[in-house]
Amino acid sequence: ELPDGVTRPTVAQFKQLVVSALRELHGEVGAALPVDVLTYEEKTLSAILRVISSGFVKLWSALTLLGFYQNRRCAFRVLQTSPFLLALAGNSRELVLD
Amino acid sequence: NTAVSRRYVLCEVVSEDPRCRQCIEDRAVGLAVRDAIGRVHGDYGLACCSISFTVKYLNAYTGTVLLRCRKDSYRLLCSALPFVRQLESRNQRYPCALNTLHVGGTIRTCQKFLIQYNRRQLLVLLQNCTNEEERQCVQKSLSSCSLTEEQSQSGDEEDDGSTE
Repeated sequence: ELPDGVTRPTVAQFKQLVVSALRELHGEVGAALPVDVLTYEEKTLSAILRVISSGFVKLWSALTLLGFYQNRRCAFRVLQTSPFLLALAGNSRELVLD
Repeated sequence: NTAVSRRYVLCEVVSEDPRCRQCIEDRAVGLAVRDAIGRVHGDYGLACCSISFTVKYLNAYTGTVLLRCRKDSYRLLCSALPFVRQLESRNQRYPCALNTLHVGGTIRTCQKFLIQYNRRQLLVLLQNCTNEEERQCVQKSLSSCSLTEEQSQSGDEEDDGSTE
């Protein structure tokens, strides 16, 4: 989430943001974690990230604690996590039971 | 068992520049180590290791440094030590490296290790002696060093004299 008026990051800038969040919280070791941006939608600023499971906690904690993008406040909201990509196709949080 | 468990990491400062010795003091070494932990492991790693972190002992003549940290974070500390590149003190900085010699649970085990290590190092120095005077100096030190039952600083036992 970004405030209004900030130019939306491109996918490369988005990845750079994720890596720099890791670097701040977990140092060079964190920044070296292989993180892949599988999908990225500039319009909604949403993405699917992939990381090795041993780096999961480092990634999520780094995203949670990232507060700034280009000197403007920002926040990462993790909507869903799963070991399987296919599971991300349906979000059980938004499931409406009849 | 609520006692805090700590690890003591024994290392030596290695530098090609002999002026680096004047930077071997607790504040400079402590800052250099914490800076390296911050770079390698980030804010989280630095905060983790900083609990109970201190420079417990150092010997500028031999370059020996004893660091203390919590048992839970000694791995973060040890993995960051190779990334210490320089020591800075009084606006002077000199390049150096830290060799890890021993990790122990108590100061005593590190002390015992250091005494044996220093004894072996003296033997190496003896082999490398270039003149008779140095040879006699080192031999005298070797024959006078021993592990006595009472607590004694291992740094004081061996007196290297003129050898470098």
